[in-house]
Amino acid sequence: MITNLKISNVTKIYPGCVANDNVSLEFNSGKIYALLGENGAGKSTLVKILSGVIIPDEGEIYLNKNNLKLNSPSDAKKNDIGMVFQHFNLFETLSVFENLIIDSDEQRESLREKIDSIMKKYNFSIDLDIPVLNLSAGQKQKVEIIRCLIRSPKVLIMDEPTSVLTEQETSELFLSLKKFSEEGILIIYITHKLKEVMQLCDEVAVMRRGKLVSVSEIKNENIESLANKMVGQNLKTIKKKKAKTSSDQLIKITNLSFTSEDPFETNLMDINFSVNRGECLGIAGISGNGQSELFQVLSGEIISEKNSIEFNKNYIGDLNPQERREYLMAFSPEDRLEQAAIPQMKIFENVALNNFKSSNFFNKGLINENKIKEHSKKIISDFNVNTDNIDLKSQFLSGGNLQKLIIGRELITSPDLLICFNPTWGLDVGAINYIHETLIKINEQNKSIILISTDTDELLKLSDKISVIHKGKLSKIMNADEVTSEKLGILMGGAN
Amino acid sequence: MIKIVKRDQPSRAIFFFTPVLAIFLTLVAGGLIFFILGFKPFEALKFFFIVPIADKYGFSELLLKATPLCLIAIGLSFCFKSNNWNIGAEGQLTFGAIVSGGVALLFYEQEGFYILPIVILAGAIGGMLYASIPAILKTYFNTNEILVSLMLVYVSKLILDYLVVGPWSNPEGFNFPETRQFSDSAKLPLLFEGLRIHAGIFLALAAVVISWFVFYKTYLGFQMKVSGFSLKTAKYAGYKGKKMIILVFLISGACAGLAGVGEITGPIGQLHREISPDYGFTAIIVAFLGRLHPVGIIFASLVVAITYLGAETAQIFMQIPKYTGQVFQGMILFFLLASDYLLFFKFKFIGSKK
Repeated sequence: MITNLKISNVTKIYPGCVANDNVSLEFNSGKIYALLGENGAGKSTLVKILSGVIIPDEGEIYLNKNNLKLNSPSDAKKNDIGMVFQHFNLFETLSVFENLIIDSDEQRESLREKIDSIMKKYNFSIDLDIPVLNLSAGQKQKVEIIRCLIRSPKVLIMDEPTSVLTEQETSELFLSLKKFSEEGILIIYITHKLKEVMQLCDEVAVMRRGKLVSVSEIKNENIESLANKMVGQNLKTIKKKKAKTSSDQLIKITNLSFTSEDPFETNLMDINFSVNRGECLGIAGISGNGQSELFQVLSGEIISEKNSIEFNKNYIGDLNPQERREYLMAFSPEDRLEQAAIPQMKIFENVALNNFKSSNFFNKGLINENKIKEHSKKIISDFNVNTDNIDLKSQFLSGGNLQKLIIGRELITSPDLLICFNPTWGLDVGAINYIHETLIKINEQNKSIILISTDTDELLKLSDKISVIHKGKLSKIMNADEVTSEKLGILMGGAN
Repeated sequence: MIKIVKRDQPSRAIFFFTPVLAIFLTLVAGGLIFFILGFKPFEALKFFFIVPIADKYGFSELLLKATPLCLIAIGLSFCFKSNNWNIGAEGQLTFGAIVSGGVALLFYEQEGFYILPIVILAGAIGGMLYASIPAILKTYFNTNEILVSLMLVYVSKLILDYLVVGPWSNPEGFNFPETRQFSDSAKLPLLFEGLRIHAGIFLALAAVVISWFVFYKTYLGFQMKVSGFSLKTAKYAGYKGKKMIILVFLISGACAGLAGVGEITGPIGQLHREISPDYGFTAIIVAFLGRLHPVGIIFASLVVAITYLGAETAQIFMQIPKYTGQVFQGMILFFLLASDYLLFFKFKFIGSKK
């Protein structure tokens, strides 16, 4: 029997934004559907409506012609709609089996048999009796999928499932999804990654600013056409020119290790690398493999031995971030809202966070507000931050504008080295393009970049050399043109 | 139909309007309570809020009560603005009073211009020492400063009890739980003959000016603000975030300690059991009612001080228990928190379409 899911004229309005504007869509089992859109396009709201988390202001949902009233997630479950969220909803300290039975009222024994047969059928191998925290991200996702499959769902919704997976885990996931689809489960796949849509799906619905802009078959589309629909404008493709190879060494890290007292942090083991002027060194890896610690060691938030970091012929391992800035280093941390900027503070106050001596932001212990404001205005116009009010609290900037402000703030000293960590994480395509262009420009000015990122495409696009971090160890450094994303994927998974 | 709509930006006008609204609602609710209790609401409110400050003496009493509230609230504003929830100002006040009282007793029956400054300083240091306990435990051992600072209040009160009953009690005092009288040189001078208002008010005013300057105009204040919002950001900017946390606690403790000095070296001139009618706790309300802004805190301390006086007159003239004062203080905070909803949301009146 074919499952038919129909969304009819769904509207959801939040204060200040229309998340879903009269959206109508129809899905039939046997196909894999992509729901594509930038962050904030409204796709998450739509799937939350389908899974009962959010109640729409207007509109109806029909499953096989039955009008569904989804007032809670359990209503969705009862109506055979399963959902795997982007962030796992698992209890880390409970075993896999305990996590699976937690919301089920079936008998333990019969459930165990059922789970075993599901795992056999789809070739999943997970030890049911170890705690979830020992699983890899891919395995955790499988646990979430099994949790849905137990209820033999008619519809399975996957929300940005590959953001935490390696290349290999992603292709495994795609195989499973195709198998589910063949067995008659209707799959809705939410993503902003165009490549995945092309690889996996049969039909694609594109959303932009809460509205459905197109529904089409994949065979009639290509990456460029989808990107243009998603962004609503024609994007230039950015290409990096091959850097002139310079042998002028800017930073050199020697035998750097870091042992953390915090069991949730990753220890860094014997890190060695160097970056030349005008070069971009990309550091790839699955998140949680020591990137955050490496960033902090490089920025000076974690202090190391003086001789372990040599920058521009100075030993600076024991200096704090402010002192390192004086040597013309700049840093853009991963967490925009909790570290790189303070959302509750005004734009110009956030600019003052990058306080270097020659800025005169603070004079004899007093705040020099005029100087800071003057500087902030320059950053806003130079870096295309979409506001003209520097007294605005930065929480009112979009992610992209905030990131431009941060990068602008860091670059205003014209540093010799910019260290950035996931600089485009969660941004829309337009902002990503802008940041990428900026980073390329830095290299063209013979300045260097260390780019720590979990986005392989970004790394391949921007880096001259690439290394992979896995469990706190750095792989050997490779020339970017000799590397493929497959090869990176294997290294990211821990193989040699 | 009324619809609630989120504001694009918190309104600045509303930011200063809500405290006024909160006070108004408190009066309405207070009147209602009086009415239910069988009093004439307007008359009762008059006894509560107007009679107490109608004469010169009453006004001086108002300033006397507002002084410690203002001083403590200024100190607390440093903590609260940087997200450090020091609610143990009462303990810091008590400990500051103990230390300064101890020093004042050392100068028993001695006179000299140098004595008072030493006594004042001792009080500030006492408050700082006591505030440093939750600060250090928070920064180096990740304890919760709310719990630690609150529990230390009771510890300090018990220490005071022990001292005034035991080792420091007045040998000629017929076993009353109080110390000897301090010498005149150890007391804050009274400002007017016959009124109890004393020089402590200048300490409060100085605190207002200095705190405004430090917090809004100096690099130090900026660093405190950043560290309070996010230690991660402070670290990234190269500030010594932990030291900033300890510093705001020290400032807050010093202010509370000074308030303690004012209480014992003012009109009373000795240590005894009940040195503070919970000024340290009430000052939390003052700090928020004043929007954590120095000028706002001045006004808020005056408003809240009236509830202390009003409770006393109401008890005398209307036989209402003086704890009604605390009811009013509680209501002010309650309505303030509730009306802060208006900061982020507004009501939109939409005509019915049908």
